[in-house]
Amino acid sequence: MDGPILEVEGLRVDIPIDGGVLKPVRRVDLAVARGETVAIVGESGCGKSLTALSIMGLLPRNARATSDCIRLNGEDVSKASRRRWRQLRGDRIAMIFQDPMTALDPCYRIGDQMFEILRQHRRVTKGEARARSVELLRKVGVPTPEERLSQYPHQLSGGLRQRVMIAMALLCEPELIIADEPTTALDVTIQAQILRLLRDIQRETQIGLVLITHDLGVVAGVADRIVVMYGGEVVETGTCDDVLGAPLHPYTEGLMRSIPVTGETARGETLGFIPGVVPRQSGELLRCGFLERCPYAREECAAGPVALRDVGAGRSMRCVLPSDDGVRDPDIWTRFESEEAAS
Amino acid sequence: MSAEALIMRGVTRDYPVGTAFGKKQTLRALRGIDLSVRRGQTLGLVGESGCGKSTLAKILLGVEEASSGEVLVEGRPISEYGRLDRAGLIQPVFQDPYSSLNPRMTVEAIIAAPLQVRGVGDGASRRRRTREVAAQVGLPDHLISAYPSQLSGGQRQRVAIARALIGEPKILICDEPTSALDVSVQSQILNLLHRLKRELDLTMILISHNLAVVNHLADEVAVMYLGQIVECGPSEEVFARARHPYSDALLKAVLPPRAGARLPELHGLEAEFPSPLNPPSGCAFHPRCQFADSLCVERAPERKGDDHFYRCHHPLGKAGGEITARPAPETV
Amino acid sequence: MAMLAAPLSPGRIAFRRALRHGGFWVGGLIVLTITLAAIFAPLLTQYDPSLQDLSQRYVPPVWSEKGSWDHILGTDNLGRDYFTRLLFGARISLAIGFVTVLISGIIGVSLGVAAGYWGGWPDLIINFVITIRLTLPVVLVALVVVALVGSSLWLLMMVIGLLLWDRFAIVVRSATQQVASREYITAARAIGSSTTRILFREILPNITGPLIVVASIEVAHAILLEAALSFLGLGVQPPQVSWGLMVAEAKSQLMFRPWMIAIPGAALVLLIFAINLVGDAVRDVTTPEGKA
Repeated sequence: MDGPILEVEGLRVDIPIDGGVLKPVRRVDLAVARGETVAIVGESGCGKSLTALSIMGLLPRNARATSDCIRLNGEDVSKASRRRWRQLRGDRIAMIFQDPMTALDPCYRIGDQMFEILRQHRRVTKGEARARSVELLRKVGVPTPEERLSQYPHQLSGGLRQRVMIAMALLCEPELIIADEPTTALDVTIQAQILRLLRDIQRETQIGLVLITHDLGVVAGVADRIVVMYGGEVVETGTCDDVLGAPLHPYTEGLMRSIPVTGETARGETLGFIPGVVPRQSGELLRCGFLERCPYAREECAAGPVALRDVGAGRSMRCVLPSDDGVRDPDIWTRFESEEAAS
Repeated sequence: MSAEALIMRGVTRDYPVGTAFGKKQTLRALRGIDLSVRRGQTLGLVGESGCGKSTLAKILLGVEEASSGEVLVEGRPISEYGRLDRAGLIQPVFQDPYSSLNPRMTVEAIIAAPLQVRGVGDGASRRRRTREVAAQVGLPDHLISAYPSQLSGGQRQRVAIARALIGEPKILICDEPTSALDVSVQSQILNLLHRLKRELDLTMILISHNLAVVNHLADEVAVMYLGQIVECGPSEEVFARARHPYSDALLKAVLPPRAGARLPELHGLEAEFPSPLNPPSGCAFHPRCQFADSLCVERAPERKGDDHFYRCHHPLGKAGGEITARPAPETV
Repeated sequence: MAMLAAPLSPGRIAFRRALRHGGFWVGGLIVLTITLAAIFAPLLTQYDPSLQDLSQRYVPPVWSEKGSWDHILGTDNLGRDYFTRLLFGARISLAIGFVTVLISGIIGVSLGVAAGYWGGWPDLIINFVITIRLTLPVVLVALVVVALVGSSLWLLMMVIGLLLWDRFAIVVRSATQQVASREYITAARAIGSSTTRILFREILPNITGPLIVVASIEVAHAILLEAALSFLGLGVQPPQVSWGLMVAEAKSQLMFRPWMIAIPGAALVLLIFAINLVGDAVRDVTTPEGKA
């Protein structure tokens, strides 16, 4: 089968609050091909986690998602019933959460939690379920999987718990896995191992992987394509190497400039940063959403909302600046420092 | 006076741990820490969760006491300082600015608290000083009467830094000062810490799991593993030529946000982080070390080297002019 | 940032939310009305609560056929004005409620904060004391004490106050444990704060939410307990009057003049209901927005 595993068009999330509506996700388009890893990158409040939860049909009760379509392997699931969603989740789409300690139920043994998923979606005997669970635990590198089945989550280390989460996500051979900050709660040495595991499994099974993260280092290590989100909008897309090699949107550029890199940034050198704070997302955008924090801002940015435009080579950006580097100023991201200190 | 702002000699910290059936066990959080920080220098302390770096910070802050060993602050044992003297000398900046500020106090009250506690000045002079420090850390004036819930993460961390600085301490202990913040805000706080350190000639201990951050700010780096310093030296040295396999693994595990970056292959680290209740024999790192042999299992390695010291039987890098044991960098 | 124009303390924010909370308004108004009525009781009635008029016994309330506007809620077996007795009874009920909660609150908060903040052996000991207290049947102990020592209003307040601190201690202990683990407590210790300052400036202000909720429950509890004791004849003694006592005195008339029991009973129900409404509202407005 060709065609993308996941196609999302015009996804919006609204949260009614006292005296208005929050719009944390504003018309997001997303496509994930078979065997592809798409990273959704952004800081807290950019809408990346809500986007993921909408794709899983797991939004909090007070939030409303609307979309033109969410197609999972060709099937439009945006209007699917609750019952259909329950069939899809864990079977066709699986999710890996940030904190495996809270995502695993502390009251049940690892084995019981795995059998439960299988029994929800497959007609299996206890013996088959057990065999399948052991097989997957072994595959994700859990030592002595037979013993682990009868252990409780608190008896495992953080890295092992995340491996168990991954094994659980793989139980029903899903077509799509959404991983929400899968390594943020882990130590750096464990992080590298878990990312490696995710990538190896994904290459082998050709699953589509959506990776939600704020860590550009993680993205550089595993992603094929990057979707940068800011203020509920997609502001830049492109292949991982293109975006990290030459970011187009000022927000992406600012993010890249604010991270110290061993061997590149000199010790104590002033790091770039994005001034201001992420604004509250309420009402419709009447101009560029990044305007207040953008050092390149000009008059036309305030004229109206900026459209996401295709700039060739599979990249797109939501910015009025030209897509070549003509006007960029390498020091612009550190220049605010003195002003900020003076204010 | 000596050039060392801070010296730790053989510092240990044990916690008694009771089990359900009353069997007493001892959790050895720190197992003999030797460290010294020269005045005006920044020491980066790296290690994974559970290695004891936070316990170390608490001992330096006087919130906990060492079980044995010596902690000298400005040449005097830390226990000889009174509560207020110690507070005037050493101040913390914590990881989570959402938890480190009392939600029921205004920014002004939070920043001024150290002066109030020590009875420095009158109300008016304290208010003046509070505004001065707030300006110094880049906190806008209008936020001074706000409550923490009305501030962003970066602004909260500035408040925490202002509170630490108002009493003009000599030593600042920053425990993961940026890891709870967004990327673009992290860099602002790092810039601020660096500027303040220079302007105020602070001695700083920077605890972080993020090696890029440590490398960016620290003059010296100490790598902790299971309650011990396994390697310590000038940043350039350690980052360029790590001798301990664990430091090396930590360095390799850093994922640079650059095009073409590849996931590192970490040999041996698949094994689980050992329990501090039951530390491995010999070198504590041996179950996870690809170079471990029977010597490592039997005997704990001595400290080797002076300015750049490490505890390893089989250090990486040059040995008699030849490169030993160091595996070729992995590419995928 | 525009939203920072007027910084509000968390307490003021909670109060503003309370003003939009229906339960807070309804409950608060009822409690306020009853309190004001109790305070200004002598101004609201022309009678004395113990003034007997044997020619006017068992006058029914104004809404029944034989009622009159002279005695809005009728009279009792000794011809005393029922409305007047209800007003003066409210004084006792409210006084019992608030004074006992003051006593039990001080005991419970002290124990709870000590256990939660220090942990270790103080915690063990206090937990033991709490467990002992929980094994005592409240009504029975109160009955025995009153029966042995004799009854007076102050004794009643003391006895109830000394019995109802357990919930305070348990809730405050766990709230304190939560607050004590926050980094601002470590920060306070690191700036050299004294223990007193930490307890009063850092911990107490941050446990007021659960504290008010427990207090409201215990006020209601104490009022009911007094009513029960008075009903059994071991609470407030005549010539003082309380709602429980009014119910007790009217119990022989249950079949013939049910309004005599219904009126003080309804007053009790209304007051308890209102206090609980206020307590619930406080709980709602002190939990973070969106999690209610």
